[in-house]
Amino acid sequence: MTAVPALLTVTGATRRFGGVHALRDVDLDVAPGETHAVIGPNGAGKSTLFKLIGGQLVATAGTIGYDGQRIDRLAPHRRARRGIAIAFQDSPVFGGMTVTENVMVGAHAVTRAGPVAAVLGLPRHRREEAEIRELAARALDRAGLTAWADRPADALPLGQQRALQVARALCGGPRLLLLDEPASGLRGPERSALAGLIEQLRGEGLSILLVEHDVAFVARLADRVTVLDLGRVIARGTFAEIRTDPAVITAYLGGPP
Amino acid sequence: MTERSERHDRVFWSSLFSSRQDGIRWWWIAGALIVSAVPLLLAPGQLTTFVLLGLSAMAVVGLSLLMGYAGQVSLGQASFTAIGAYTSGLLALHHTPPLLALLAAPIVAALAAAGVGVPILRLRGHQLAFATLALQLILLSVLGDADWAGGAVGLQGLPYLSIGGFELDADLDYAYLVLAGVLLVSLIAHRLVRSRVGRGLRALATGETAAEASGVPVGAYRLLVFAVSAAFAGLAGGIYSFFLGYLAPGSFPVLLSIEYVVMAVVGGLGSIGGALLGAALITVVVQLLTTLATQPGMPSYAPSVLSYAVYALLLIAVVLFVPKGIVPTLRRSS
Ligand SMILES: Nc1ncnc2c1ncn2[C@@H]1O[C@H](COP(=O)(O)OP(=O)(O)O)[C@@H](O)[C@H]1O
Ligand SMILES: [Mg+2]
Repeated sequence: MTAVPALLTVTGATRRFGGVHALRDVDLDVAPGETHAVIGPNGAGKSTLFKLIGGQLVATAGTIGYDGQRIDRLAPHRRARRGIAIAFQDSPVFGGMTVTENVMVGAHAVTRAGPVAAVLGLPRHRREEAEIRELAARALDRAGLTAWADRPADALPLGQQRALQVARALCGGPRLLLLDEPASGLRGPERSALAGLIEQLRGEGLSILLVEHDVAFVARLADRVTVLDLGRVIARGTFAEIRTDPAVITAYLGGPP
Repeated sequence: MTERSERHDRVFWSSLFSSRQDGIRWWWIAGALIVSAVPLLLAPGQLTTFVLLGLSAMAVVGLSLLMGYAGQVSLGQASFTAIGAYTSGLLALHHTPPLLALLAAPIVAALAAAGVGVPILRLRGHQLAFATLALQLILLSVLGDADWAGGAVGLQGLPYLSIGGFELDADLDYAYLVLAGVLLVSLIAHRLVRSRVGRGLRALATGETAAEASGVPVGAYRLLVFAVSAAFAGLAGGIYSFFLGYLAPGSFPVLLSIEYVVMAVVGGLGSIGGALLGAALITVVVQLLTTLATQPGMPSYAPSVLSYAVYALLLIAVVLFVPKGIVPTLRRSS
């Protein structure tokens, strides 16, 4: 792993909310092409970690490096422009827009046409619109949402709303994809379709950081796993290594074995 | 046109208008044709009302964008009408060609909005509403005291607007100028909303975090809508100054800002048709009330008390019965 520099490097990440330590001194890295899972009980700090990487929260201490540069002072939309995409755990879909339009928003990071080009109807704007539609159609197809494309997004069943978050994140062709519990609320077949999609993305060389509770899901997909509990890293390694780790067993069963 | 670009065009247009929206587009064209015949049928006094209605509609299209897409309320939108009007008025009185003076109005209003918008747009919800209201009060008192702006008396003796040697000296000319203005701002708003930027704006109205994480520069877009809404109001103000030929701070009271908000809310936020309908409806209602309130025997404060009362009642009625505003509600049920 040392030969290739990591795409994402989180060093000493700490975040307090008042007296609560949501994260304490967390180190984590994601190598190019790696699928890295973050697991841990509820309240372990997984979503907080994602928000520090995406820029939705500011770290109390620690640094975040991406592609060889520090990004922890960049605004979230600038991080998106560099190729970091997030499907949040608890974010609603964009209301009053169709499924396709929702996904098209995800292409914002890789497109440029401004208001003037749009108002004047310049060819540049039209070309880019067509391009965005194509990107969105492909992302919808991959997420299995093509049949829903023209529906109002807020009328989708929960499972499809989760898939929509993934499609939106994919639409901008990210280099690093952060998925916060993408399979929660999905039923069996949808779940395995999502696992298939993630596997495919990994095959294409995308770097993925994944939070997921489903053990089978993690076992199937993750190259490496980092385990958080009460804001600290309590174990890391391959799935086979961490599943037998006493600290992990304690954290999940609650109390000493 | 080659076959390929024709097909591209068709794909482009069908991407703008789904089949249901096709119907809406025809409504628009039919509506525009009917409305453009209206000035010919109006009596002189009614023409003035028509022009003022159109000017309000221009400002309200912008305000509706701001409130519907950036999720911000402005209680001082008439500040930008005033800034546009004074820009045109001052430039025209200082021998700038009237058309240039008119073009400067939206630009200066937009720049003013961008200038104050940077600190103001950090504020949220009610804070922005109060900040814009304060802005208008400050502006009015500055204009009322400024010698260069004519103080409380304002500016007088503005020339008529002339476009390419044609002097607009009749109310009917201004009626058509205003119609063109309404069409222009509606088209700009429509294209903006349907574009990549518009999608970003619509997204941030309901999901700011996810929009920003998708690469939408939330702050810049908010500022953009604020500036665009100010430009529309500023253009209306510019036309107003040439139409009346004089200006005073009293022409832009806070009541005018409130009227804009009521028009936008009644018609339906974020809907261009709603903005136009709201402006028309409120203008007609206010006109009827003013006629009533200026009957002999009515106290002098009757007109303003009545309009405040009607604004309040209309707002309450809309919030209770058609919370999305008239046009979006009609559209949903059709
Ligand atoms: N915005 C917030 N304000 C206060 N406390 C928060 C906030 N977000 C998260 N927390 C707290 O931080 C801890 C970690 O939360 P979170 O990162 O959501 O955990 P996870 O995603 O692993 O379930 C929890 O104790 C939670 O209550
Ligand atoms: Mg979480």
